[in-house]
Amino acid sequence: MKEFKSINDILDFAINEEAMAAEFYTALAAKMKHKQIKETFEQYAIEELGHRAKLEAIKNGKGQDFSDAKVADMKIADYLVEVDEDKTNMTYQEALTIAMKKEKSAFRLYSDLAAATTDEVAKKLFLNLAQEEAKHKLRFEVEYDENILTEN
Amino acid sequence: MERSEEYIKNERKQDWRVALQKKTKAKDRMSIERALMAETEPEVRIKSQRIEVNTGLTMEQAVTEASRCMDCVNPTCMEGCPVSINIPKFIKHIECGETLEAASVLKETSALPAVCGRVCPQELQCEQKCFYVEKLNQPAVAIGYLERFAADFERESGHVATPEMVASNGIKVAVIGSGPSGLSFAGDMAKLGYDVTVFEALHEIGGVLKYGIPEFRLPNAVVDVEIESLRRMGVKFITNYIVGQTASLDDLKADGYKAFYVGSGAGLPRFMNIPGENANGILSSNEYLTRVNLMGADSEESDTPVLRGKNVVVVGGGNTAMDSVRTAKRLGAERAMIVYRRSEEEMPARVEEVHHAKQEGVEFLTLTNPIEYIADENGRVAQMKVQKMELGEPDSSGRRRPVPVEGSEYILDCEVVVVAVGVSPNPLIPNSVEGLDVSKWGTIEVVKDKMQSSIPEMFAGGDIVRGGATVILAMGDGRKAAKNMDIFLTEKYLSN
Repeated sequence: MKEFKSINDILDFAINEEAMAAEFYTALAAKMKHKQIKETFEQYAIEELGHRAKLEAIKNGKGQDFSDAKVADMKIADYLVEVDEDKTNMTYQEALTIAMKKEKSAFRLYSDLAAATTDEVAKKLFLNLAQEEAKHKLRFEVEYDENILTEN
Repeated sequence: MERSEEYIKNERKQDWRVALQKKTKAKDRMSIERALMAETEPEVRIKSQRIEVNTGLTMEQAVTEASRCMDCVNPTCMEGCPVSINIPKFIKHIECGETLEAASVLKETSALPAVCGRVCPQELQCEQKCFYVEKLNQPAVAIGYLERFAADFERESGHVATPEMVASNGIKVAVIGSGPSGLSFAGDMAKLGYDVTVFEALHEIGGVLKYGIPEFRLPNAVVDVEIESLRRMGVKFITNYIVGQTASLDDLKADGYKAFYVGSGAGLPRFMNIPGENANGILSSNEYLTRVNLMGADSEESDTPVLRGKNVVVVGGGNTAMDSVRTAKRLGAERAMIVYRRSEEEMPARVEEVHHAKQEGVEFLTLTNPIEYIADENGRVAQMKVQKMELGEPDSSGRRRPVPVEGSEYILDCEVVVVAVGVSPNPLIPNSVEGLDVSKWGTIEVVKDKMQSSIPEMFAGGDIVRGGATVILAMGDGRKAAKNMDIFLTEKYLSN
């Protein structure tokens, strides 16, 4: 398991994770056949860069600190089957599924890191980061709930 | 047809209307109770897919109900009608016993009154805006029942009127899809003198009215009569013709079509993408209803019979879910169940449909969500794992979202599952026309209220733009598109 020597070390790790997520979406966007889904993934990449900027601001002492509010978990992503990421003709439903699952796995990563550390300050930071990811996931779950599960 | 406020007011001042207003006192009108729609008994109607549930008002009931209408100075009911029917005028004709005239008023702005009288959610539209609801907190005038009464009376009388038509201008326009939106558009364009051809991919005209809505709610014969009216107005219909495959838009242009209306609907099924959903016996509501409604798959003699089961689960809480589960009951299911993840209050289905489903013995498992399907050794679905849900705290939009209850999973036996969790727009036109702006949902982007797409000669409306809406909203789009396409074509071809 990766070792973290300081709080800044943890934040650098999280910043890098956001940058990698942005790269992931940019690469997906590049291979999409339909313009509208291409733009969707480009938008997700921009959102990840926004998350990165927020973490950088916290690291530099300029940003607002994390909120302690508990984020709701609709668990929609938990029960969906994986989407084939090699597809070039994804639907918006599939794009949202990828995004929800990605945020879910980031949430799990930070939750696991929090559980594995004995340092109280580091634990709190990991839990805060996990809540941030939960917030990102909820944004996609709400969109899925409102626009995919329309039950007409 | 002129629909200005002044026109409506002047109509109300006509002698016959004034005489009627004076004939009965307001308090006497208000003391009449709203008519009750007669229904076929549940135990009788569940024996066939083709026994209509609501049987219509009698003449006496209709005249009495019509006399409840106050003929308001400001008819707010009209604001609630997406196709702007002159509601007080048609109702007052019924009160006078002039039912054929009432039907003519309906046809001034609606191509499908007998359809709308049956399937429109009037309780959320015209009736919600009725004086009785807004000012007296009493049941609205039964506008939908009266609409159906007038349209049925005309059809049964054999004197079906053709609306006023403008002389032909010879300009050819094509309609892609023969659902409610395309039919409404076709009717208005034919009235304006255009040479209209409707292209339909299936072998039957009517789109969702035929393949989606079961005959116990909307008999096909009723739809056919409305289509026949359009034929008499000169509208041509070509079936088994897929624009985007059988011929391209450019082919149609080469054939002389000057403009296009896309009303190709939302016929693409949507699934939940949970584990096991590919098992045999799990169908989309589109497939289930199309097989029964359009292909007679409920008949024992059918070459392509639909799957039946003792335990049928329908996933969803909208009108399509109700249509599917009630169809399952008619196909002999012992347990026909709705599984819906929110509570009954949030169900998008019409209250009337939920009520009828309950009368017919449908079970409602609300705040319940499927999370996995389990198949037998032959790959046929046998069970469904569901999870209980609860509504969470209201979020920033004020809406309570369903969240799972930990450890509440249980198993339901099911041999057939119908998934009715929504539909997506038909992708054929959005994916095959170069330069057409399409949203991330796959819907065609149009200029609001003009219904014009990024390709100037292409207009669109109904579910291909909305992604899943009601018959009447689709018809309203068709009317708006016709009005604006007429302006576009007049400027381009007829102004010199």
